[in-house]
Parts: sequence; C-alpha cells; structure tokens
Amino acid sequence: MNKTLPYIFLFLLLVSGELLAQQKNIVGRDIGQLKDIKISGRLIDQISGEPLVGATVTVKELNKTEVTNPNGNFNLVLDRADYILEIRYVGYETVIYPFVAVGDGRISLTMIQEDFTLDDVVIYGRDPEKNIRSTDMGAISVSMNTLKELPPFLGEVDIIRSLATLPGVSQVGEASSGLNVRGGGADQNLILFAGAPIYNPSHLFGLFTAFNPDVVNDFVLYKAIIPTKFGGRGSSILDIAPKSGSLTEYGGDLMVGTVSGKLSLNGPIIKNKVSAKIGFRGSYINWLLGAMNNPDLRSSQANFNDVNGIVYGEINENHNVTYSFYRSYDDFALASDTTISWTNMSHTVRYQGKFSERLAADVVGYYSKYDFTIFNKSGTNNFDLESGITDIGLRLNFTYALGENNRISFGGDTKEITIRPGELIPGTSEGESSILPKKVQDEFGRESGFYLQHELELGEKIGVSYGIRYDMYQYFGPRTVREYAPNLPLNEGNVIGERTYAAGETIKTYDGWGPRASLRYSLDSKTSIKAGYNKMYQFIHLISNTATIAPTDVWKLSDQFFKPQIVDQYSLGIYKNLKGNIFETSVEVYYKDIQNVLEYKDGARLLLQQNLETEVVPGQGQAYGVEVYVKKNLGRTTGWASYTYSRTLRRVITPFEEEIINDGEWFPANFDKPHDLTLIGNYKLATNASISATFSYSTGRPVSFPEAKFDFAGNSLAFFNERNTQRIPDFHRLDLSLNFKLKGNTKFHDGDWTFAVMNVYGRKNPFSVFFADQTGSPPQSYILAILGVPFPTLSYSLKF
Amino acid sequence: MLKRLVYILFLITVSCIEPYKVELPQGEQLLTVDGFVTTEPGPHSIRLTRSDTYGSVFEGLIRPVSQANVAVRDSEGNVVFLAETEERGVYETPADFRARVGLSYSLLIELQNGKSYTSLPEMVNSVPEIESLSYRAIEIQTSNRLQNRVGVQIFTQFRDPSDQTNFYYWRQGRGSYVLVANPELFTLPPDHPTNPRGAAPKDCCSTCYLLEPSRLQTFSVASDQDFNGLNQNLPIAFIEDDGLRFKSMYRAEIQQMSVSREAHRFLRLIDQQINLTGSVFDQPPANIRGNIISLDNPDETVLGFFIAASVSKKEVYIQRNNLEVRLTPRIIPDDCLTVRGATLDPPAGWNPDN
Repeated sequence: MNKTLPYIFLFLLLVSGELLAQQKNIVGRDIGQLKDIKISGRLIDQISGEPLVGATVTVKELNKTEVTNPNGNFNLVLDRADYILEIRYVGYETVIYPFVAVGDGRISLTMIQEDFTLDDVVIYGRDPEKNIRSTDMGAISVSMNTLKELPPFLGEVDIIRSLATLPGVSQVGEASSGLNVRGGGADQNLILFAGAPIYNPSHLFGLFTAFNPDVVNDFVLYKAIIPTKFGGRGSSILDIAPKSGSLTEYGGDLMVGTVSGKLSLNGPIIKNKVSAKIGFRGSYINWLLGAMNNPDLRSSQANFNDVNGIVYGEINENHNVTYSFYRSYDDFALASDTTISWTNMSHTVRYQGKFSERLAADVVGYYSKYDFTIFNKSGTNNFDLESGITDIGLRLNFTYALGENNRISFGGDTKEITIRPGELIPGTSEGESSILPKKVQDEFGRESGFYLQHELELGEKIGVSYGIRYDMYQYFGPRTVREYAPNLPLNEGNVIGERTYAAGETIKTYDGWGPRASLRYSLDSKTSIKAGYNKMYQFIHLISNTATIAPTDVWKLSDQFFKPQIVDQYSLGIYKNLKGNIFETSVEVYYKDIQNVLEYKDGARLLLQQNLETEVVPGQGQAYGVEVYVKKNLGRTTGWASYTYSRTLRRVITPFEEEIINDGEWFPANFDKPHDLTLIGNYKLATNASISATFSYSTGRPVSFPEAKFDFAGNSLAFFNERNTQRIPDFHRLDLSLNFKLKGNTKFHDGDWTFAVMNVYGRKNPFSVFFADQTGSPPQSYILAILGVPFPTLSYSLKF
Repeated sequence: MLKRLVYILFLITVSCIEPYKVELPQGEQLLTVDGFVTTEPGPHSIRLTRSDTYGSVFEGLIRPVSQANVAVRDSEGNVVFLAETEERGVYETPADFRARVGLSYSLLIELQNGKSYTSLPEMVNSVPEIESLSYRAIEIQTSNRLQNRVGVQIFTQFRDPSDQTNFYYWRQGRGSYVLVANPELFTLPPDHPTNPRGAAPKDCCSTCYLLEPSRLQTFSVASDQDFNGLNQNLPIAFIEDDGLRFKSMYRAEIQQMSVSREAHRFLRLIDQQINLTGSVFDQPPANIRGNIISLDNPDETVLGFFIAASVSKKEVYIQRNNLEVRLTPRIIPDDCLTVRGATLDPPAGWNPDN
C-alpha cells in the first residue's frame, strides 16, 4: 500500500475541519494474552445506524484487509501489539482508528457520509486500488451514493441508465429498457434482485427502471470475466443487492418528484437481532393525464409502482438470514379500451453463515414470477391475452480459504423455468364471441450448474483467478412438437408430423463446460495488466423484432430448434492509477464470438405463435471493441470520461436461399453504435451544493432505408431489401443538475433539493427514422424524437 | 393499437414526429406488378410500373411500363390476353373474363425488351358470403389534439367456414353519396360589377349524387387462425368524414375476398408498413417479397403481387341520423351540380330502401 495515502486522508480531514484525536484505544480485557487475540468489529453509519456492508478494514501494519459482512461485522485475529486500522467505504469519510490489542474484544466503529464535505469524493469503487490489485475484469460496482451525484433522469436516479454511462454498456435509445453490454442483446443480461431473476426491469416501457434506489445497497455489473457462480446468460450479470434495515435505530427516506414519489422506512423489530425495511414507490402520471383537455388522453391511464420488503435476522454473529420481497407493477391504458399490464414479483430467502475462519456458506432460494397481460375492452371482440414466466431456484455457494490470498469457492445451482408464452381468452362481448380461445403450449425447462473457482496471489506481482462451470439444461414435456422434413426450411409447408411428449418427459438436453480465467500482472503498485477468457451458455432467448423490449416480445426456451447461445469472450486490459489514486485510468479491449443468435424473418409474427421456429433464423454474432476510461476520484471536481469504440455484427447463412439475410454478409446489429462517449462531472459549489453534468454522444444506430418506391393498390410503398445498411443521425445530449441540501436544526429538516434539466440544448435526437405515405403529404421520411425539448424536473428528498 | 402508445409517450416526454430529410440512394427501376383477377365480371386490370427513388413525387416518378404482352393462364390451360388501355401501363382482360373458384391462375408478362416474367400460380378459393354490414361513427385521436379525425367504421358479418383455412382481404368499391348543397344561399362573386357579394338565391339544385373518385384506400386483412368456424363481426373499413359525405346518405360497397396464404402475407406486410409510426414498438421494415419471378434472370427482383380471388360484395347505406359523431357539415352555397362529377340521377343500383 502506498504510504502517503494515510497522510493525504489526514490532511483532507484537517481541511474539512474535523481533527481526529490521535489517542490510542485499548481493545480487549488484558489477561496477558499474547497471540491469537480475536477482535470482532461492527461498522455502522453514524447518522442512520445502518450497518455498512462491504467496507474494507485494513490493518496497516500487517497489510491485511477484511470486508464487512451484511450486518457490518468484521473479524480480526491479531497478536498483542499497537495497530492502526483504516476503514474505507464508498461515499464515506475514511476512518483511521489506532488501537492496542490486549485481549479478545469488540470494536464499534461509525462512519460518516462525506456527501457534503468539500473534498474527497469517491465516485465509486470500494477500495481506491481495487481496480489495480484485483483479478476482476470488467466488474463494475456502484454504490447508491455515487448514483445520487449524477444528473437524474426524469427526476430520479436510475440504476440502468447510470450503467449505460460506463464503457461497453449502451442502450438503444431514450425509451428503451434493455442494456446492451459489449455487443450482447438485451436478453443476454441476467438481472438479479436479491438473487432472483427479473425479466422486465422497466417501468413505463423503459422510461424508468423498476428498482427503487432507496432500497438498494449496491449493484455489480460483470461484463467481462463473470465469476463461475453465475451462468445462464451470455453477456453480463447485474447483481443488485437490497439494503437491510438498521438493527438499532428507526429511519426512513422520502422523495417527492415531478412524476413519482417514494418512501422507505426501516428499523429494528427486535433490537440488535431482527430488522425490517419497506419501500414503496409510485407514480402520479394519472393526475397529469387527467388534467389534459383531450378526452382520449383523459381516459388513458399510466400507473406504476414498486414495493420492497426486507427482513434481516441475525442468529448470531456468524449466521444470518435475509428474506426479501419485491414486486413491480405497471399498467397502461390506451384511450380506455386496451390495457397493457405487467408485474415482476420475487421472494428470496438467503442464509449466510461462517462455520470457521476458513469456511463460509451462502444459500439462496428464490421464487420469481413475471406476468404480462393485454386486456382489450373495445366492446366488440373483447379479449385478454395473458403470458408469463415463473422461475424457482436454489443456489448454494461455499468459500474456503486455503490461506492468505488463496481462496476457493464451489457450489451449484438449479432452477426450473416455466414459460407461459400466451393465452388468448375471449371476453364477454355483445352477443356471441367471435374470437376463438387460443393457448400457446407452456414450456418447461431446468437449468443446473456446478462450479469451482480458485483465486490466488502468486507473490506481489501475479494474481490468478480461474474456474469452470458445467451447465446442464433439460427441456421437458408435456408438449406436442412438430417434425419437419429434413433438409428443408422450417416452415408451415414442410411439416411432416407431430410428436407428443408426456409430462416430465425429456424432449431435448444440452450441456457444456464453461471455463473462465483471468490473470493479473502488476508492473508496480499503480499499474497492472489483466487478461481473461470467458465462456457462457444461454438457454433462453428473447425473440423480438422491435428495437427494444416491447409487448410483442416473446421469451423462448431452447428446444430442438433453438440451440443455446454460446458466447466466447477474450479480454485484455491495462489499468493505471495516477497522482496517488486521484486518477484511475484503464484501457480494455475485447472480442466476442456469439453462436446461435436469432434473427427474425421478414414480417415475423411472434405474438401467440405456436411455432416460433418458423419465424426466426439462427445467426452468428461477433463483437469487438476498445474501452477507454478515465476517472477522477478526489477533489472539488470529480467525474469520469468513458469512450468506447465497438462493433456488433450479425451474419445469417443458411442452406436455404430465402432465409439468407443481406446475402450472407456480416451486417451491423440493431444496437451497433461504433462511437460512444460519456462525460460526467460533478463540481462542489459549496459544502451543501453541487452541480453535475452528463454529456453523451453516440453514433446513430443502424436502420434499413428503402431502396425504391413502388405503387400497389393505390398505396405508395417502400421497398426494403438489405437490413441495417444506413444509420439514423448521431445522438448527443447534455443533462445538468443542481443539488443542494437544506441545513435544518433537526435531521427531519435536512432535505436535498435536486433541480435538473435533461436535454439542455433541446436536441431532437431521433429514436427512429421511418418512411410513410401519409395523407396530405408525399411519401417521405420522418423522425421520431422521444425527448425533443429541454425537460426540467424538480425533486425533494428527505432522510430521517 | 400500439400506435396510440406513442401519444402517451408524447405527453410524458414531449416527443415529436417531424419530416426529416435523409440522403437516399438512387432507387432501382424494378418492374412492379399490381393487379387482381376475381370472380366478379370483368374487365380486370393489371398495372405494370417501374419503381423509383423513395422520396417526394418530384424525385422518384413512377413510370408505367407500356407495350408489354400480358396474359393470364388458368390451371386448365386456358389463356386470356390482356389489352393495354388508354391509360398507359394498365392492361385489361376481356369483359367476359372472370376467375373460377377451384382453378389457379398465373400471370405471364413479356416486355418490349424481350424479357419475360411469370407469377407463381394463385389458387382461387371460395369466400363466405357477407351476411350483413353494419356501421358506427368513431373518432380517432391524432397527434394534433385539436383535430381529431371523425368517420364511419364498417363492420362485416359473416360465418367463417370451419373446414378450411381462410385468408381474407377487404377493400371498398367506389362509394357514392347524396350531395347536399344550399343554392338558396348563393351570393354573387366579390368582383360582380353591380352587386358584389349580393344574395342571389338559386332555385336549383340542393341534392345531387356524387360517385367518389377512386382514391387512396384503406383496406384490411385477416386470417381465420383466431376465429376458424365462428360467426364474425369485424371492423374492416373506415370512411373519413370530410363534412360532405355524411350530410344525408352514403353508400359504401364492401368487397370481401378470399386470397391465398402468400397474398395474405404480402398484404399484411403492406398494411404493417402503412401503419408505421416510428415508435419503439414498430416492427422493422420488412422486405415485401412478391410472387412474380423473372424467367431470364432468377436473381432479378420483381415487386408487387398478382392476386386471384373470389369476391362477395355487399352495399350498405349509411344514414346521417344513425351517426353519433359527425364533423361540422360543410356548406356549399351554390347549385350542387357545380361540384365536379355531381349528377342529378342516382348512380346505378342506388336503392337505399332495399
């Protein structure tokens, strides 16, 4: 560790006017013990009393670092001596705690948020040199305090949108909920909330993320080397950890914004044993709609809300159980006749235990359900269209410390997925119903995996992490499956028969070994080079022919026609910290090869489609890119710049001429945006005010342009031939926000005001370019801009 | 349905749609076939054109393909030649030609430059009769919130046969209506030498009949996948109120056709393209493949479709009093015969009491 760092922090503390008394604390009852003194500590937030999870506690003399567990505890085994503890946590002032260990005992430490001290803002990353010293590649962890410094989107900080500011992560457009990570599709990200998979992480078709930031402790996005304990998706894992309530004090957060508001409360149920936290967020867009003078809009509705509940219980210092509940709800009524509604719901139970100094276990059981319904109440031909996905799973993880900086983890997981692709239920119309009930067969799949991972340090210079995961997948009945004539395209005309499988009967299995490895070589304490390889299998596909997650999208399990997606990724990076970790820089390159990505056929029909294999063709994917990242962690101005040059390509070659797309050549995927730049800055105006700005620029996404115009039956039409040959104009936007805190006498009056303007200079960024022959004007091209003018929002939040 | 989502998104995020000039590649001049033969009495017409650059009318002018030899052959080997009409590029069958249910038809084309083309055979399947037609007035919101569109939606009632797969295509024949004018409100022109703008009521004529010019049509398509064998009541046409059409009585003619699976797919893709809004839910544009192939060069792209269909026709008289919403009627302060195309005699077959 750099020896000057403590002095820097000390100096900064002096600047902020809080001189730390350098008196030595005596820990433990002195019975003359010399060795193996066991000291357990607890770290809590000084204001809220909430435990601080994942903070690093370093014994300077031994250069030994511990990380606090979910209840803020850490354990040290020391010899009798004088020590200095350094405690670091994102968004908090670093604490230096000198003490003398004389016997077994406890330390209770508090940390204070550095939010409004003038200097010393860590944007994110828990340990200032973690980027250099760990073997992790492309793992991004973000704390909620960091997020709060960013200009909000529509009045709220947003998890998904903040990730899109980082290199290698992008979104299709302004109203799209999916993330594209290093050239992967929106379905290649596994989004886990408290360990349970969430299928539609959006409110209002992607304008908001369906996770309430106040109940989130932190989140980690793995985009390059994914730990072997995760599997099942090709490109990334977004692991969102909820925040448990305080075991000692009651508290809460309240926020009132322009379109939505939220409230969360937390506190002990049994002091120092059991805590609870509940959060609620809801929109009041309906009020705005109700105030409109257009009768159709007045009769339209848009609602969303989400609810969280977390109960945390400590059995003892080494064993704890967490129960977490999550539900997000959306409905959207269009001029009162059609309502679209979706719900994500999950229950998770997690047990974490430490059996000895070496062995720890983590068990997660979850139930997750996603429902999507369209109700049509137009009077004639009423119907309900229902679909959904259910996951039930169990994950088991053990870690065993073989020695200092030498650790293995192993375990397994299994889950059962049931997809209800769609059921059309005729409603009660006037007179006889004129719609037939229709149900697409349910799908059943089981995904299981076993894994082993070994992390070790070979001296100061080299760190290695390697592991392997074995994925197994089973697709089973009841199901009736079509058989097609061999060597002919899969279409209606080539069906030769049907086969029926009984309940539980295996229809198809797939399995595969997924090796993953990364290597770190440190050139010095501030510079390292890392290289890695990753192989992932994905047994579920999102079949979509729109640019974003839309009501017509269908999730499909792998079967005999849909082979699993297989992703191989190679990455290489160089990391360097400058000026005493004030600047963090990195350059990463990657190459990704994707097998069995699906491309829709022209004019594919996906909704209520019994035989999806006739609507899509398998293709190959390829993605590569360079990511450059510079971050300033400390000082009055903080922020980062990220630039990515990347390409994402697709190719469809089949033996059948009518299925080949773009003559079998590589063509850009829908979300291929070669240049992507984000600049984020935060400037402290005063101790209680800051201003932040986000500027983003990216190349326009590819679209198909008509190659000719022709007439048919009185309509002027466009002839499209090759896919994605042209691009929409480039995207750029500037967002600004001003945050200031009101100082009140009691903490109930300490509120944060955030005034933000999105799209400051009113750029009409096209979401799409389309071609239409509309009455009253010649056939021509149009753009749709989702956010065409500067959009101001104001919000007030309160912590109590 | 999804179209309307955009309006909500509009509201929340102030989005907008506007014309936008993009540089488009020079369009290819591809042969385009547009035509039907049906079970109705002829003549049936086929139009041959060449595609051009997408863009304004001035940029890409669609030109007719003249002096081609065009023929239709049925599956029994009978060949009928089509003759080019006065309108260039339009070829008509003899008046006594009509397609027969159960036969399939192919279009044969030989261009002046010697290149020849053929369509894939199109089978004519029987179509269920329209049992009745009904209608109701509806209001459609537009992005301009002050100018909602008003019009009449027409529903067809029929029974879908359960023993076959049916693909439907509906279009409108030429509509006609009673044109109501107010000749008694006639005023002299403003440049009248003696009495500018003076009242000069005319005695005649306050009611005429007007046969609508053939125009850009709405059409609809359906397959019986979701309703095989059931009685149907489907909205299939929309006639927009222009302030004149529904002042008294409007006669609409609906043609219900049974088309092939391939023709249905083609028409559905056209329908999809016409209804694009640019929203996030839009399907990406599809390559609309037709059923015409070049006999000389299999790689040549030919646009359009040759459709053979059986037809069931029915008329409905739309009475003003049955419409709940109407546009403010437009007043014609003159003799109705001054309106182009207006006649005093009702069009052929006008029989509202039937």
